[in-house]
Amino acid sequence: MSVVLESALTAGLASLAVGAFWLLGWQLRRAEALLSALGISAGFAVLYWRVQGRPDFPPIDATQWVFWHALLAVPIGWLAGIAPAYRWVWVWGTLLGVLWLMVLPFRPLLESGFWSLTAGVGYILGFALSTWLLITLTAPLGAERGLATPVLIALLGGVSAGVLFYGAKSASLAQLSGTLGAVVGVGAPLALLRNFAIGRGAVVVAMLLFMSLWATALGFAQLTLGQLAVLYLLALTPALRLLPALQRQSPAVQFALPLATLLVVGGAVVGMTYSAYMAQSGNYYSY
Amino acid sequence: MLQRTRFMTYLSAVAVLVGSLPSVQAQPITYRIDPVHSFIIFRVKHLNTGFAYGRFNTFSGTIVVDEQNPANSSIELEIDANSVDTGNSQRDDHLRNPDFFNARQFPKITFKSTRVRKVNGTTVEVQGNLTMRGVTRPLTARVTFTGKGRNPRGQEIIGFETTFTIRRSEFNINYGLNGGLADEVRVTFAVEGIRQ
Repeated sequence: MSVVLESALTAGLASLAVGAFWLLGWQLRRAEALLSALGISAGFAVLYWRVQGRPDFPPIDATQWVFWHALLAVPIGWLAGIAPAYRWVWVWGTLLGVLWLMVLPFRPLLESGFWSLTAGVGYILGFALSTWLLITLTAPLGAERGLATPVLIALLGGVSAGVLFYGAKSASLAQLSGTLGAVVGVGAPLALLRNFAIGRGAVVVAMLLFMSLWATALGFAQLTLGQLAVLYLLALTPALRLLPALQRQSPAVQFALPLATLLVVGGAVVGMTYSAYMAQSGNYYSY
Repeated sequence: MLQRTRFMTYLSAVAVLVGSLPSVQAQPITYRIDPVHSFIIFRVKHLNTGFAYGRFNTFSGTIVVDEQNPANSSIELEIDANSVDTGNSQRDDHLRNPDFFNARQFPKITFKSTRVRKVNGTTVEVQGNLTMRGVTRPLTARVTFTGKGRNPRGQEIIGFETTFTIRRSEFNINYGLNGGLADEVRVTFAVEGIRQ
């Protein structure tokens, strides 16, 4: 089977998985928080399996934790769905859950001596706290009906894929990141057809997986701290819509500002990363 | 003085002669792999079209040779996965990444023999365990004796060569398997060892 057909089949299967869970939640009007998170989790699991093959459990290769993060993040996504009613359970459950998830993949880098104890603890705490902040700030976007949230997150996936491809120099992490964006993007046609909201759980699981991919790229591939910081700030961009100043504006303006930021800043970052990649060697290596 | 020089020359010649006769050595001899005169090269088919070649520049190890009883012979090899070199720094970075060697978590590729069996006068079959990316798989290779001599520093040296094929998917290196890059990787290890 050609690479194009293979990729199309992978994207199709992942989209079916995520769409099935989301529509089930929509139809049942029950367990929406859980099914919203499960949709992204199942879609990403399908993607990972098709791109990288069957992961081990527990993984020998630490980079396989990304797959297990997709499953282990479901309770956190579910907590996000019920957060308005159980605020402290959400805050502490998420913080401790994210911390545990970030310890798992990066312990081998401490054991192999690639990171010193101080650096390793710093990175892990940094990843956990920044992930917690990101999912806390972006979770409310999932409750917003319409195109904006899935489109912005899908675009983030595209920018992330470009930076991971040329900056981290990992085609598979780039592929996973781009297709994760596409999986969230399934919410766009659903929003057009049924005024659908992807749910807080979906946003939380997606953002957690983006952070997991970026942290993996920093730890195990060539992503720099600067590139990770830019991707992180871009991930916060969709949450600009929630700022009180923007809430008073029309929906078009609320959508246009983060969209323009993602397109302009994201495009510039991908362009700069590509230039740096091209400057590294006289001959272009196209993977 | 002249007599002493002649005696020393005679002694050196005898030593070289004895050293080059495999059958007269009774004890196992340990050789340290000389990384300058040894090579680990690999090739893999790209897009089902041409072969891409690469090498590892940093490795170390020992070879124990028992010519009387080859079963007592052994080899241990440790390769620095970060030293992969394909002549393109972008591709080398990609190979070090999780798509291939994941060299930050698994910086070493190792081979340790478990059994050596004589096949004929110049060939032995070496069985052992190859560990790459945290996965250990058995490997069997036919190793050919390529020569023996002395280097300019007067040290006894020995040479072997082997070529074998591995499937990278058996070591969880699955990137690009669907048409991009072949599963089979042919490895050639040409080694020169210096007697310890």
